[in-house]
Amino acid sequence: MAGLTASGPTGSRDSRATQSDGGILGDRARSQYSALTDLRWHMFINGIRSNHGVFELGARAFSYVIYGCMGLGLGALMGGGSYLLISHDQWKYLPAVFWVMFLIWQVVPIALASFQEQFDLGILLRFPVKFGSFFLLYIVFGLVDISTILGVLCCTGVWIGITWVRPDLFAWTTLALFVFAIFNILTVRAIFAWIDRWLAQRKTREIVGALFLVAVLSLQLFNPALRQSRHNAPRNGRQQVENYRRMGTEIQPWLQRASQVERWLPPGLAARILRRAAEQQPGLATGSSGLLALYVLAAGGVLAARLKAEYRGENLGQAPRRKTADPARGKKAAIQNKVDLRYLPSRPGSSSPIAAVIEKEIRSLLRTLPLLYAVGAPLVLVLVFSGVFIRGGGPQGHVFSFALPLCMIYAQLGFTQVFYNNLGAEGAGIQLYFLSPTPIKTVMFAKNLLHSLMFGIVALTAAVLTGLRLGTPDATVAIATAAWLLFALPCNLAAGNVFSIKMPYRVNPGRISRQRGSQANALLSLLIQLGIISVGATVFAICSLTEKLWLAIPIFLVLAAIATFVWTRVLNNTDQMANGRRDLLIATLMKTE
Amino acid sequence: MEIAAIQTHGLTRRFGALTAVEDVTLSVEQGQFFGFLGPNGAGKSTTIKMLTGLLEPSAGTIEILGQPFGAGALDIKRQIGVVPEGMALLGRLTATEYLRFVGRMYGLDIETTRRRTEELLEFMQLANENKKLVTDFSHGMQKKLALAAAVIHGPKVLFLDEPFEGVDAIAAGMLKSMLQGMINRGATIFLTTHVLEIVERLCSHVAIISKGRLVANGSIEALRSGVASTLPGEEQEQRLTLEEIFLSIVGAGGEQEPTQELSWLA
Repeated sequence: MAGLTASGPTGSRDSRATQSDGGILGDRARSQYSALTDLRWHMFINGIRSNHGVFELGARAFSYVIYGCMGLGLGALMGGGSYLLISHDQWKYLPAVFWVMFLIWQVVPIALASFQEQFDLGILLRFPVKFGSFFLLYIVFGLVDISTILGVLCCTGVWIGITWVRPDLFAWTTLALFVFAIFNILTVRAIFAWIDRWLAQRKTREIVGALFLVAVLSLQLFNPALRQSRHNAPRNGRQQVENYRRMGTEIQPWLQRASQVERWLPPGLAARILRRAAEQQPGLATGSSGLLALYVLAAGGVLAARLKAEYRGENLGQAPRRKTADPARGKKAAIQNKVDLRYLPSRPGSSSPIAAVIEKEIRSLLRTLPLLYAVGAPLVLVLVFSGVFIRGGGPQGHVFSFALPLCMIYAQLGFTQVFYNNLGAEGAGIQLYFLSPTPIKTVMFAKNLLHSLMFGIVALTAAVLTGLRLGTPDATVAIATAAWLLFALPCNLAAGNVFSIKMPYRVNPGRISRQRGSQANALLSLLIQLGIISVGATVFAICSLTEKLWLAIPIFLVLAAIATFVWTRVLNNTDQMANGRRDLLIATLMKTE
Repeated sequence: MEIAAIQTHGLTRRFGALTAVEDVTLSVEQGQFFGFLGPNGAGKSTTIKMLTGLLEPSAGTIEILGQPFGAGALDIKRQIGVVPEGMALLGRLTATEYLRFVGRMYGLDIETTRRRTEELLEFMQLANENKKLVTDFSHGMQKKLALAAAVIHGPKVLFLDEPFEGVDAIAAGMLKSMLQGMINRGATIFLTTHVLEIVERLCSHVAIISKGRLVANGSIEALRSGVASTLPGEEQEQRLTLEEIFLSIVGAGGEQEPTQELSWLA
């Protein structure tokens, strides 16, 4: 026999070809890591074969430079803060630094989930990969994500800040920060893995959705309380000082209680390791390190529990339940075969595809918690952070005149993905738009219509929340802001339609993590939004400086008319654009990795 | 002379240096159940994508029901139904919601869409799965739903890319009878599948594509006698199966014979 029979591997060769099984660092595991690294490398090389890929790489490199700069800035801030605290012997405030780092590490990935490309290790499950290796790879892949970059640079800053003042604490600082970093990495992964799990099934998705709404409503309940306190606030400076003193006394017991709890939590423990070490109490420092290590084990355990289920091939979907035999079913099946499928000729135009697309979009949206979160979360932050616009110290202060437009800017940021990748969640369904007799223009128009409505609702809600928090805004500012929104909306829609067709990326609507993002899309859409904001800021600034703020209204209305004209032109060209790129569009949105 | 349901002239598609489909000229008459066969990578899916408007041809023309067909030919799109390679499903909808959406996208009124959706779900035995999202369906259920969506508007020409893949035997039998019913009522079906038994049982005409070029086209009987005539004396009397015809035609195209033996396999 020719071919492999003569020259192919024999039985003995086969046994040699099978690598020894030696744990997560054994021959087989190392060979698998090497294969996976090769895979990533080839995917990277293949990815930059096209112009789009090169552009994407450039955008990614640019965004990493930005994240790096952000990280360096935060690191410098943390380092400076630590330096000042240690040099002034204010150890009791050091936990605050660790809490800030902890929040950055845990919150940033949620805010930027759609901007990061992540590798889904689920493809490994078909191979004989040990659970240890699977776990290790899950941790290692993605170590260069934004949160880790920011977190590690913050840790480095703190490390420099502390060891600069106290070189003798070099070893303890290194240990504390290293364990704290590991804890954060494991925790953020565990949170994402569990959120993905909850979002994958209808019941848990609904529970998470309900909890999210309760959280939003709870935050809104703060508002009347804050408002009440504002109305009851003293009017003169002396009373104000007295008021603050009274508030300080009132919250002191609460702060002490919080401090008692905080010291047993990871950021508090990390700070305590250093404090005890500085106080020459190595035993207590070791004890705190041990406790922190226990938290690391716990976070690792929570993550491992989730990954173990995935590793065993857990089906996150709702697999069809096995049905028991139903005597009526046979009869029903017989009837089914008699169903007459001769259809009357279609009656084109008798039902609006626009309504169909809007209905479908609403249904999909209500089942897509990450998107609802993206749109709703800025509203919560508008409510919470609009207080910074009260100048002059405290609730009685003067409200910044342009607080409303600034809150509006923030509120609309949640629409980035909705506007700029409006086909991303269609998946294989994108084919339907090209197969059906409905023009893509109609589909885009319907989507734009719904998104405009959502935008309007969010803007209105943000305005109401801002009003409740900061009081009724100046009428001219309010109308000018509305006019600016009329300009911003068609700008975003026009650019968004172009981006959605030319730079789409697939979005898995049921997931927050492990998404394939597009840095190019994210970066350019951010630039366009910055442009729209800059135009608004410039007009507001000029009109305000010339004390003719009312002039901003006609200017924005003219700009809105121009933007609407551009949007209609883009919309009219949508079919041409989409048809010209349909194979790429279909391939991109159907991509399964 | 009756207008052909599908007519292509010199249909070609290039991807850079690779020519996936080259100079394909074929004609499918109305009412035909047409099988489009070929080995993996031969160009079947590329051809069907061009015929349904999902991919623009690099050269050549397509006519559906006598009218030139391109991406913008909306009137023709109303008359064709497609089960494409990726099934074109929307995972975040239920089966009912999806079918109602598709019906309305094809311009059906709400009442007709509702009625047909119910009938199709009953027929496809998906009526009991109404609370489940499409993304949670098994592959076979998704195929059935994709087929239901392809016929909801009562198309005159139906394109099916591997419609029986992953569908159980009972459902496959049901689908075959439905497709046969459509043919009896004058519809045209263009089918690609690797299951040659299905083609042999259902199709009256077949075309075979290999390495992007059409290597055979005609009725199964004509192909059978054509291949038989190339065989030595007594073998000409045997009734060849479609598989033998296929292997004979595609194998003659220079495909490598499976002479190697993977001796390390158990």
